[in-house]
This record gives sequence, C-alpha cells and structure tokens, in this order.
Amino acid sequence: MEDQEILLKFRDPASRNVAFNQLVRKYQQKVYWHVRKMVVDHDDADDLTQEVFIKVWNHLENFRQDASLYTWLYRIATNECLSWLQSKRRRFFLPLHDVGAELAAKLEADESLAGDEVERKLQKAILRLPDKQRLVFNLRYYEEMPYEQMAEVTGTSVGALKASYHHAAKKIEQYVNQQSPND
Amino acid sequence: MNTPFRLDEHRRRPQPPLSAPPDRYFEQLPQRLMQRVQAAEPAAPLAWGWVAALSGPVRTALASGVVLGGFAACFWLSAGPAAPVAPPDSLALVPRQEMVQYLLASDQRVSLTDLAELPAATPELLPADEYLHASPAEVQDALDAQPLEDAYL
Repeated sequence: MEDQEILLKFRDPASRNVAFNQLVRKYQQKVYWHVRKMVVDHDDADDLTQEVFIKVWNHLENFRQDASLYTWLYRIATNECLSWLQSKRRRFFLPLHDVGAELAAKLEADESLAGDEVERKLQKAILRLPDKQRLVFNLRYYEEMPYEQMAEVTGTSVGALKASYHHAAKKIEQYVNQQSPND
Repeated sequence: MNTPFRLDEHRRRPQPPLSAPPDRYFEQLPQRLMQRVQAAEPAAPLAWGWVAALSGPVRTALASGVVLGGFAACFWLSAGPAAPVAPPDSLALVPRQEMVQYLLASDQRVSLTDLAELPAATPELLPADEYLHASPAEVQDALDAQPLEDAYL
C-alpha cells in the first residue's frame, strides 16, 4: 500500500486500524534497526520502536505532509532515541564516554561480532562518538541516506551534516588505528 | 607493517553486526501495537470532546468560570431560608369569617393584655378602632367596669 493510500485510509475511522497495521508492517524493520543501532540492546530497541509507533498513531491524523511519511517516521524515531539516551545519562549521572562504554559492553556480549577483530574495533569506535554524530554516521554509512533527507530528519543543514560525517569518519579511523592488534 | 585502517576501504555491511531480534518478532509487533493503541482508546465517544477543541486560554477562562459559578451556587444554597411572608400579610389572606370561627372554637383566649399590646407593637398595621368596633366612650366604659388589678397587669 502506498503512503498516500495509508494516510487516506487512516483519516477514515472505519479503515484506521487497517491503515495503521499496514504502516507498521511497511516500516517496522527500518524503524527498529534505526533505533537498534543507537541503543544496541534489543529490549530497549523494542520499547522505543513501540513508542515511536504509538506517537505515530496519536499524531498521524495531523501529519501535514511537509515531508514524506518515511522521513517523518525517522524524525520521530531519531528524537525518541536521542531523548532516551539523554535521559539515561541524566538518570545515572553518566558522562558521554560511560554510556558509550556501556553500549560497547552490550556489543561485546553480542555473539555476532566474534572472530572479526577489525569490525569489533569499528563498532567500538562508532559507539564512542557523541549521540548526534553517531546518528549522522549511521544514517549515512549504513543506510546511505541522501544528505538532503538527513537534513529533514535531523533538522540540521546539509553542510553541517557533511562536516559531522567527515569528523566522525576521521575519529573512527584514528581510534581503530590506535588500538593494538590484541586490544 | 600493518596497513592503516581506512573507512572507505573497509567492506561496508548493510547493518552493524548485531544479533537478530527474536523469532517472529516482526510478525507479532503489529499485533502488539494494535492491542496497545486500542487499549488506550476511550470506550465511548467523549461528550467533552468540544473542550479539547478550545484553545488553552479559553479552556482556562472556562474552568475559572465553572469554579466561580460553583462557589456562587454553594453560597446561594447555604444561605438561610427565604424570608417568611410577613404575618400581617398572611393573616390578611384568611377570610374574616374563618378567623372568627377559629377564635371561637379554639382554646385560645384573647386577653385584655393582648388587646392592649397589639396596637402598641404594630400601630401602622392594625389601628385599634378596626377590630374593637366600639366608640371611645364605650371602650372607656368597658375599662371602667374592669377590676383595677386586671386593667393594669
């Protein structure tokens, strides 16, 4: 079902549930993985993904279509992730580095990284980035999202996003190169 | 010597190497979400939906008006009972014939003291000559006929 059709059906109370179900099925994997990359842990990603779609249910009727539905969903998911990370840091009085270390520890426990040393270092380096820079890096590196669309999702200018991605890539290369082979 | 790591030369994965979510997670997620949104829906259409459509300041003003109205209603209801009808007015509604019958049949006795006090208490409502139906001379004769102690007690 096309986005436009989903929106039309959602506005009709008789077909609202069907439209929402279609919307969830269409975008759940993208939203889940976008969130999962930010919070690493599946349970946290599950909670946040549900919160994103509950917000979508509550506000979709007023969605003005200034942006595409896909971009709007990413913006909600991004804001949810950043708020969650910020509240986690505030709740436990954790500095930025400690949250990165906690996420890295969760990643270490994930068996899917076993045997690939360079990939493990790369993931640790990504998790050491500040939240917003990590978000920009994920959107560009993994999802290959165009900068213009990233600008709509993050509310940041294209120039600032390019600079942020460039700095993130340099930090990651530096971190991976500084780690000893056995680290 | 190791080759320095360069991101653009590294094999790019479509996703970071994270474990997959539990089996059937994406099959069950839409159903779980539908249960959540339907549980949050009100059971019946809200009769007060129009309040939500008002702007914030208007809602505040409306709430203040309701509170003030409540205070006014409490004040009005807690005030004493309505002022009773003035006795002379209510007595005036009773036909004279019925009043005479009542006084003759009941045990009530109108004493001379009552007759002496009534004009003094309400001189503007009931002039003595309206109910005594006697001339001053006849009244004087009646008074003179009374024992002295009855007249001044």
